[in-house]
Amino acid sequence: MKNLKKALYILALLFPVTLFAQKEIVIEPANITMEVGQKKQITAYVMENGKKLNDPINLLSRARRSLSIDSTMMAHAIQPGTYDIVAVADGVRKNFQIKVNYPAIAEIKIDDIPQKIYAGTSVALKYHVIDKSGATRDDVDVQFSSMYTNIAEVDDFGTVNTLIPGKATITVKAENVTNTITVNVVSNPIVKIQLEAEMNTARTGDVFHFKAKALDKNGKIVPDAPIFYSFSGVADNTSQSASGLIKNDGRFVADEAGRYTVTASCGVASASKTLKITPREVTRKIEMVGQGSVNDKHTSDFWVWEGIDGRDYAVTGTWGADGTAYFWDVTDPSNISKIDSVQVDARTVNDVKISEDGKICVISREGASDRKNGLVIIDVSNPRDVEIISRFDENMTGGVHNVFISGDYLYALSGGQKYYIIDIKDPKNPRAVSKFELDTPGHSIHDVWVEDGIAYSSNWADGIQLVDVGNGIAGGSPENPKQFASYAYPNKANHASFPFRSPSTGKFYVIGGDEIFPYGLNTGKGGVNMAGGYLHVVDFTDLENPEEVARFEIPYAGSHNYWIEGETLYVAFYNAGVRVVDLSGELMGDLRKQGREIAWIIPNDANGYTANAPFTWGAQLHKGHVFFSDWNSGLWSAKLEPEKPKNTPIKVK
Amino acid sequence: MKKTLIIVFSLIAITALQAQNYYVYVAAESEDEVALVKFDGKKAETIKNIPVGIWPAENEGPHGITVGPEGKYWYLSLAHGNPYGTLYKYETGTDKAVGSVTLGLFPASMQVSAATGLLYCVNFNLHGDMVPSTVSVVDVESMTELTQITTGAMPHGSRLTSDGLKQYSVAMMSGELFEIDAISLKITKTLDLDEASKMAPEDHSMMDHSKMDMGKSKMGDEKKSMAGMDHSQMDHSKMDMGGMPAMKHSAFKPTWVSTHPTKNLVYVAGNGAAEVLEISTDTWKTTRKFKTDKGPYNIDISPDGKRMVVSYKTAAKTGVWDLESGKELARLDNSQKVTHGVAISSDSKFAFVSVEGIGDDPGMVDVIDLTTNRLIDTAYLGKQAGGIAFWKIER
Repeated sequence: MKNLKKALYILALLFPVTLFAQKEIVIEPANITMEVGQKKQITAYVMENGKKLNDPINLLSRARRSLSIDSTMMAHAIQPGTYDIVAVADGVRKNFQIKVNYPAIAEIKIDDIPQKIYAGTSVALKYHVIDKSGATRDDVDVQFSSMYTNIAEVDDFGTVNTLIPGKATITVKAENVTNTITVNVVSNPIVKIQLEAEMNTARTGDVFHFKAKALDKNGKIVPDAPIFYSFSGVADNTSQSASGLIKNDGRFVADEAGRYTVTASCGVASASKTLKITPREVTRKIEMVGQGSVNDKHTSDFWVWEGIDGRDYAVTGTWGADGTAYFWDVTDPSNISKIDSVQVDARTVNDVKISEDGKICVISREGASDRKNGLVIIDVSNPRDVEIISRFDENMTGGVHNVFISGDYLYALSGGQKYYIIDIKDPKNPRAVSKFELDTPGHSIHDVWVEDGIAYSSNWADGIQLVDVGNGIAGGSPENPKQFASYAYPNKANHASFPFRSPSTGKFYVIGGDEIFPYGLNTGKGGVNMAGGYLHVVDFTDLENPEEVARFEIPYAGSHNYWIEGETLYVAFYNAGVRVVDLSGELMGDLRKQGREIAWIIPNDANGYTANAPFTWGAQLHKGHVFFSDWNSGLWSAKLEPEKPKNTPIKVK
Repeated sequence: MKKTLIIVFSLIAITALQAQNYYVYVAAESEDEVALVKFDGKKAETIKNIPVGIWPAENEGPHGITVGPEGKYWYLSLAHGNPYGTLYKYETGTDKAVGSVTLGLFPASMQVSAATGLLYCVNFNLHGDMVPSTVSVVDVESMTELTQITTGAMPHGSRLTSDGLKQYSVAMMSGELFEIDAISLKITKTLDLDEASKMAPEDHSMMDHSKMDMGKSKMGDEKKSMAGMDHSQMDHSKMDMGGMPAMKHSAFKPTWVSTHPTKNLVYVAGNGAAEVLEISTDTWKTTRKFKTDKGPYNIDISPDGKRMVVSYKTAAKTGVWDLESGKELARLDNSQKVTHGVAISSDSKFAFVSVEGIGDDPGMVDVIDLTTNRLIDTAYLGKQAGGIAFWKIER
């Protein structure tokens, strides 16, 4: 027994003394409640066995932007809520909370409504609940009521439905604060709606522009009549819903072939127009032509160009490997042959680009052994014996993910934050002349593409940024880039951007692509993957008011890099291969549902780095062939069947 | 009684003869993986690869790794983000991610204080302009970043004293050593390491400057020659710093600081000067200078305070030093190029050294016996083995 006690004593000595066992931090006052904007002195000290110590102590807020505490233990309430505070001293800590009361509601602001509302029409109230700290609140219960429900009713969402002429009082209430407006309902003069469109038959995906006029009993136009558009339809395919998209400015597009009825209404007056929608019928055959296999490592981006000798060549990068870029002769797309390679200090050569004159290649470096990433400029005048001309690392050490060449300038991303513009007139001595970087909190960038003196960068949450680098639209130049337009979409996944000036409509679109991996990515050999995300078509015709008008999405696959030539889009969709899409005419709605997909091809390779696991990176049209790179299998070429002329007579013997 | 003693001694002898297993976590920076390496006294092997990161198509670069003082969790910094890096918290053993928090630009090395329970992680900010960066202070209980403390340009090598009350880091480009009070989170001391190196008690005429790592390119293995200019050697003072004054670029280039387990001393690796400085945290002066091979990068001090193990990144070697005599006991070749991190076992017997490799070389961990000063075995893992943390000994 004695020995056991001794052993236990020794064990107790051997075991580390538990941290924070004897000391205690005392916070005074014990319960702290504050008001927004208030400062309050907190007292904290360490007690040990009932004795107050003079140990240094620090109070740290887990939400310092909402409630801060300075080194004198003065708390400053910035935003309402309940916040966790950590008190730390030598060998002891304590967690406690400070409550910052929500300020009472101060007022409810209601935006102006029309001075007169025609009976039978509705108006949606726009309101803002403001608390005493001046903050707009959307977390409070708002109630609506009407004093004269025979004149106007109001629903739970603030939509006022008018019934008969008269004045109705609408009250909006939040907590104990109310605001009341008077709705002036007047007799509805509208007896007829005239509805016109430029056509009554069209293909799926063709955009109608309806124009509705509200007329009074004398046939006069009532200019301030609120008109609402809606549609219904029956698809030719009886198991398919007749879906489409209608906007309240009268634009309509149908997804399915069938009969659609578009209705414009104002109160009890309405007019409808029936449309016949036929299939778009743009599908064409596409056939695989050739492959340049890379099956010992992942392949990344590629570029195809006509060399100065008139033959056609391609360069491909590699991903998560040994820093190699391969050069190929693709003059005969059915016989793609590897002709040279370079190896640089990198694990990933993510991007490769060729100058317009076919003499200069630039490749990006990431994962360098010394963490000094950057880019490498290569002389490809003789693609069979390429020569590294120079390396450019200055301010690039965080990694160059994407590059672009336009004229005498390189555009190179740096560390995922900005891009540098580099003068390569003397490619042996590249020289950074400027940079473009946003100033938003946590800004980041993924890609940049330059066309007609405009740099289109893809900036994740900050979306598509248009920068004048010599176009002249905003007085910019490579030495002085000037941003002039932007569009960000809610999923914050903008990964690529490509301009598209629609020849058939004159509209200026920029197509922004997502990159999302909702199921993760197995990068090892044998990994089979699926991506997510889609293409966002943004109408930039009005640069100050860009509008996202359409999408192209493949279920259970995700967009990556793409190319537009004429009115045709060639887009790599990772596990869904290459998709060829008809961009003719105005774009609106769900382009795939509309039957705008011309063709698709998926590169299965039983000898791939991961066998039969297509994961297509990018696509490019070159001299009538669709070239594309695949993460698991290298470089491919395919041929799209020529478009058949419409109404071609069938020859019979 | 005699019988009892015999049994007890027999049991002790049997236990001593039983093999001990050592476990270290190692980050494979270009593989987005962490390897758990087991060493049984003779053989080292990767027994588990843990995929890390959330941006699959991007290399997120797991860089710094540490095991908390209680051994229940390990922490990993992912250097790249959009744009900020992330700190992850994993449960040891199950290796399940249990929390994360966004930190600054390129979060790198870190350690958890035994006194405050807070984690102190340097934001290395390798991404461009040489501007002062920060140390993030994280409450690992809730995985909340509590504050960022501004230090110097490219801070690296966050290490705490054994009592957890002082945190030290160096700024690689501005050449400074910082001491932060772990409770008040204030910088209490700053030291110019270029000056400290010059003032160190040693005859400088003895120094072999040819061995200095002046940031030479590692692109020697490129198939095609680099005929052009290497811009990494450019004069940074001529850079456009957006109106900012040009920042000092340290020739000493400190990359790491480690604390002595019992004495008020820290050891700083001068990657650019091929030396390690021993600095008294009381006098804040250099007490000794150890001339090393090219590119000293990381340092670990054995828990018994007797040995200092230094990775020589450029030379692809590891130095084992006797701290009492100040002599280098061994200079061992590593298994491949680019030696990176060092972690010494809690019994002070073995040093685990991560070796990055180049290109698609696998990452490696060389195990050095600190009693014989010999390399015993090598474990293989994903590309660019970097951050390394000792976890436990299991009998």
